Amino acid sequence: MKTRRDFVKTSLALGATLSLAGNLNSLFAAETSSPALTATPSVPTGPKPVLAAIRDGDRVAMLDKALSELGGIQSFVKPGQTVVIKPNIGWNSPPERGANTHPSIIGHLVALCLGAGAKSVSVFDNTCDQWRETYVNSGIEKAANDAGAIMVNGKDKTLYREVQIPNGVKLKSALIHSLVLDSDVFINAPVLKHHGSTEMTACMKNLMGIVWDRGYWHKNDLSQCIADILTVRKPALNVIDAYHPMVRNGPRGKTVDDCVEMRTLLASTDIVTVDAAAAKLLGHAPSDITHVRIAHEMKLGRMDLENADVRRHRLT
Amino acid sequence: MPRNLLKNARVVLAALTFAGFTLALVDFRGFVPAPLGHVLAQSQFVPGLVSLLVGGGLAAIFFLLGLVVALAIGRLYCSALCPLGVLQDAIARISSWLRRKKQFLPYAKPFTKLRQSFLWGTVVVALTGWSGFALALLDPYSNFGRIVSVLARPLLTVANNSIVGIANAAGLQSFYRVDPAWASLGVLLLPALFLTLVAVMSALRGRLYCNTLCPVGTALGLVSRFAAFRIGINKTNCTKCGDCLRSCKAQCIDLRTGTIDASRCVACYNCIGACDEQGIHHHFSWKKTPSRNSSKSEVGRGVPAEPPSPDRRAFLASVASGIVASSAVLTHARAETASTANDTPMLVKKGEASRAICPPGSHSIDQFLDRCTACHLCISACPTHVLQPAFLDYGLEGLLRPKLEYAKAYCLFECTRCSEVCPDGAISLLDLATKSVTQIGVADFYQSRCVVEVNGTDCAACSEHCPTKAVTTRPYHDHLRLPVLDQNLCIGCGACEYACPVKPVKAILVTGRHTHGKADKLVEKKAAAPTSTGDFPF
Repeated sequence: MKTRRDFVKTSLALGATLSLAGNLNSLFAAETSSPALTATPSVPTGPKPVLAAIRDGDRVAMLDKALSELGGIQSFVKPGQTVVIKPNIGWNSPPERGANTHPSIIGHLVALCLGAGAKSVSVFDNTCDQWRETYVNSGIEKAANDAGAIMVNGKDKTLYREVQIPNGVKLKSALIHSLVLDSDVFINAPVLKHHGSTEMTACMKNLMGIVWDRGYWHKNDLSQCIADILTVRKPALNVIDAYHPMVRNGPRGKTVDDCVEMRTLLASTDIVTVDAAAAKLLGHAPSDITHVRIAHEMKLGRMDLENADVRRHRLT
Repeated sequence: MPRNLLKNARVVLAALTFAGFTLALVDFRGFVPAPLGHVLAQSQFVPGLVSLLVGGGLAAIFFLLGLVVALAIGRLYCSALCPLGVLQDAIARISSWLRRKKQFLPYAKPFTKLRQSFLWGTVVVALTGWSGFALALLDPYSNFGRIVSVLARPLLTVANNSIVGIANAAGLQSFYRVDPAWASLGVLLLPALFLTLVAVMSALRGRLYCNTLCPVGTALGLVSRFAAFRIGINKTNCTKCGDCLRSCKAQCIDLRTGTIDASRCVACYNCIGACDEQGIHHHFSWKKTPSRNSSKSEVGRGVPAEPPSPDRRAFLASVASGIVASSAVLTHARAETASTANDTPMLVKKGEASRAICPPGSHSIDQFLDRCTACHLCISACPTHVLQPAFLDYGLEGLLRPKLEYAKAYCLFECTRCSEVCPDGAISLLDLATKSVTQIGVADFYQSRCVVEVNGTDCAACSEHCPTKAVTTRPYHDHLRLPVLDQNLCIGCGACEYACPVKPVKAILVTGRHTHGKADKLVEKKAAAPTSTGDFPF
């Protein structure tokens, strides 16, 4: 509840901001790292995003259930369209280590897209570890190829194009993989993991793999850049594999002991909403994940789950 | 027996070894399984010698077998097994095509002193502690390896990259671009110069290189002078028509005396087929005996029968003094670089630092530089190309030997490929469990340069990439997480250094260990669920 003192303080601050313009920013900066962070998160308006939260089934069954809650794959993929799926294929480790999206989810997504009449389905990631080893050992290359997708090189700079990002705060331009820029449908399908610096990696952070130079992000306010990239193109569909999320030593992990069985899958058209729910799965308040909060404040999606249309299902 | 049978068999064997080595060394797509290069290289003289000296292995057995073969039938090795020899034959053949007129190489006298200087120069340099340097410099197999790995492989990669677009457009999705991973200019220059030298010599004078500069050729020549079955001229059949001369690439057939210089004959068997009069044939030469016993002891001691001439003594003395002087200079230079370091890394403080980082399995810089002949099989096989040929990184004695270079790549945690291909134990075979605790270097974290400290924003790219969790993060001000390093867990793979975005000097840097150590292994219990896993927490 707001007291009168708070009101006076806010009014004074507001007046001071208007008169002093930029000077006050530096004052606040002494107190916190960014003035924007002190403001109460505003609530974006618009229709409630749908969040499909499915538990206790195998990955493929949970994916089917989640998609049916979101209107089926045909509401995302129209016949003749080109599709790009961006899993997390960051690390040269086998599926059971939980460092990459499980291949069964990618294989099934590919099959669904092709079943809906997609002209082509491409799968790629700008991997962290050596890409050939990683594509193979993650199991994703085989699953995607078997289902009829094309695995595309994410380590080929000639496949990236420079894009200006006028609405980015820190990220003003980036080399983005042409598949993301050119495909009709963009599907984001990461795995949920702990992360040593951003606490969590799920849908938003997975998009670091669509740019050539991740180092720039690391050097120039990582969390802000993660939010900024959403102003270029938001995925039409976001699916999070939280079957056995890595809850420590992320994002690479050491052994299967870093993972906990949760048997959950989340899906939404709103990338911020789905990440907010993922944060909760890992025991964080959504606003504690800096990039989720920034994206919410930039009105790139909604982290207020209480205002989302959450469809909870248990497949038993 | 058809007269060309031996020659044809030799050609087939030569083509197979040449193709095998070339495939293993140009393989930029990782198609070739590790055992191919490894097993083929077991047949090579110098890796075999190294294996023998360091205590066994398959290559050592092959080496002894090779000596027996040389003692039995001569330098078949030079014609059928040595890839550099086969390359020279190919160059000579191509140049004779280009010349249109068939080249005639008459008998030439041997450059005995020059030959022996190169052989004994190599031996002396090796004995004075620069064994790897000496072997690397002149070993024909290693030179071939470098020509293919440093020059041909990147060129082929560039060619591949230029057709990827067309291939993909044509629906061939299996084509993709690959980083050519060019070596540094200094490194490129050496194999290029060597190739030029060998190409000119072979185009003009056939196997002149093998019979003057190559220490392996000379060593095998010493043995094959006493070979049991060697080819000779049947003076009753010989009409001195010169057909054999035209077919001889070694210029070793002297028709005036009717003899063949067995120390220079590379056992290619071209002359047998060329002679219409059946004037050249194998004969058993041990019948006359006294050479039999002496030849055996030759092999056993590996030294020539004749005592060193005064000339040679002077030569050896000059080589030796040169080496002593230059190694003293190098040792001094090393001491200087270590003491002037400003932000002193832990290993430098403890005096355990090395100038360059040698691959896991090589145990120590000293052992590695003693054994490695710089054949570059490992450099071609390395999937990340973190293995690069060194220029002066190890000092002059480590020229062209592989080192780990973290500017563009890091050593993949789950990979032991270099140890699988290495033919002579310079990189001994590692299992993954051993490799994952083999400490080839140790990282040092410089907080004053770290993004989190300097910019006050999230980063931790180092911790993200660390496979052993030597680098983790701890809470820092304003919700940030600062990298924190446990050097006992660090294996020196370079993933953190590679990932660190700070320029020009990174905030986390690996220093190589002179002698590799053993890192601790972080063992943790099964992780606990962060929330109740039974229901939705929202």
